Amino acid sequence: MRVKYRKLLPFILPALLIYMTFIIYPFAYSFFLSFFSWNGVGEKIFVGIKNFKEMLFGNYSKEFFNALGHNIYIFIMLTIFELGLGFVIATLLATNIKGRRVFQTIAYLPNIISMVLVGFIWSMMLNPQWGLINQFLRTIGLGFLAKPWLGDPNTALNTIIFVNIWRNVGFYVLVMLAAIIDIPPELFEAAYMDGASNWKVVWRIIFPLTVPTFQTLVVLLFIWSFNIFDVVYALEGVQAGPFRSTDVLGTLFYRTAFGGLGSAATDLGLGAAVAVLIFMMVIPLSLLYVFLVERRSKR
Amino acid sequence: MIRLNRFQKTIVYIILLIYCLIIFTPFSIIFFNSFKNLREIFLKPFSLPSSFSFRNYTLAWEKANLGTAYVNSFIVTLFSVVSILIVSSLIAYALSRYSFPFRRFIYLFIISGLALPARLAIIPIYTMMRELKLTNSLLGLIVIYTATGIPFSVFILKHFMDMVPKEIEESALMDGATPWKIFSRIVLPLSRPALVVVTIVNFVAVWNDFFYPLILINDRSKETVPLAITVFFGEFSQQWHLISTALWIAVFPIIIIFFALSRYFISGMTQGAIK
Repeated sequence: MRVKYRKLLPFILPALLIYMTFIIYPFAYSFFLSFFSWNGVGEKIFVGIKNFKEMLFGNYSKEFFNALGHNIYIFIMLTIFELGLGFVIATLLATNIKGRRVFQTIAYLPNIISMVLVGFIWSMMLNPQWGLINQFLRTIGLGFLAKPWLGDPNTALNTIIFVNIWRNVGFYVLVMLAAIIDIPPELFEAAYMDGASNWKVVWRIIFPLTVPTFQTLVVLLFIWSFNIFDVVYALEGVQAGPFRSTDVLGTLFYRTAFGGLGSAATDLGLGAAVAVLIFMMVIPLSLLYVFLVERRSKR
Repeated sequence: MIRLNRFQKTIVYIILLIYCLIIFTPFSIIFFNSFKNLREIFLKPFSLPSSFSFRNYTLAWEKANLGTAYVNSFIVTLFSVVSILIVSSLIAYALSRYSFPFRRFIYLFIISGLALPARLAIIPIYTMMRELKLTNSLLGLIVIYTATGIPFSVFILKHFMDMVPKEIEESALMDGATPWKIFSRIVLPLSRPALVVVTIVNFVAVWNDFFYPLILINDRSKETVPLAITVFFGEFSQQWHLISTALWIAVFPIIIIFFALSRYFISGMTQGAIK
């Protein structure tokens, strides 16, 4: 339909202006700022690519790559466990059992609770003295396994990943289940008619037909893994202890930009450089995600 | 649908019940702890509370500043969601119904916001808010949440509106109805399912967000629930009975709302993630 452009402006402008002012402009400004040294109040000093050099090759490179490594590790673990468990549980629910809705709802419950609150709840469960986890291990005679899960550099990161899985797996169950339910029932009928076992049905029908869902979810997980912050903040603080064993780019970014006890530098320019570096890694996949979602919605 | 025999079904039920137990246990622990005193938590972490007194509740409610925080969270969420609904449905309508210069460009420009991790731009947002005197202000949070909610909401609404038949509107336009009339009388009422999805997804995102308040708010009278709990957790560490209570107060209304409206939540969040 056609009307005068002028008449459409009241429809277009509010969203466009808010979006440009508070999303696009800050992004552009982050790029700009990453070439400066600035403590937030005084004058901005142009330093060229020094911030990037410092992060990638200089004083902070050890910390940067330590955090980056953790992000990658988190991404791999979450892909295996969240997608894996999500698929398994969704498959269990896509059967002729009763109460699918109820189980589905319960599975999704943790996902609607703020991640930071989930973190706090689990930090109590994991409390070395009275936390349920260690108490449980002692009760079933595995007391030797009890340990300060969040205080031990060898277990802290995996513990954080576990808490993440606990909260988020329901989301993957939901999405996977929706994908499985979308499969035409005739395919199952035909397979059973031919005498296929359940095992075969899962691997020959359900799995191949949910591959596109897996693809989108892996991309989404990559983006989320590089944005992880709340859960580390809640369980280990911005210092990402013990000994930075749970440090991720999000907490590193926070420390460089806004400080934190005992942090070496607080420089908004340096912080912006960290943001730009994360952005560079995430943006190709983010665009891929937008592309995938756009393509799907067209069908 | 997979067909299971009775034996397989039993196994599946057992697995699912264990899974439910794993989900419910942490919630029940903070619930039980909220009736215990510190001594009881240490000595009998497994057992039911010996008495059901609400002493912890009044104490935690006051000390964690939860009254103020709940009001703030409510105001911020309500206004953010409403303003997201207004601005997004307006532009989605224009993008879906009219041809005008740069239409495709504007659409892609906004959708690409789905790909921007908005938190990474927090430094300029922070300095900008400081200059606009919008730090320590609920309005500041509302503005930011509105902006971050736009790409997703426009995406959902535009695609939905594309599927709504256009014949009625065309004849209405012939009869001299203004775009505003068509929007408010015809398109918006027909877009209800999409508006529900947008409302739920943004409600959850804004209510749960902790990052922007962490950066933008340091006045206790302006804190939202997740921030209030964070501050409380820092100040009262070791007071596990009070922390449990505060956490329980923070999560249980959401749990109730979720179970009451689970149908909408589940379909909304699934559509929200991948269309």
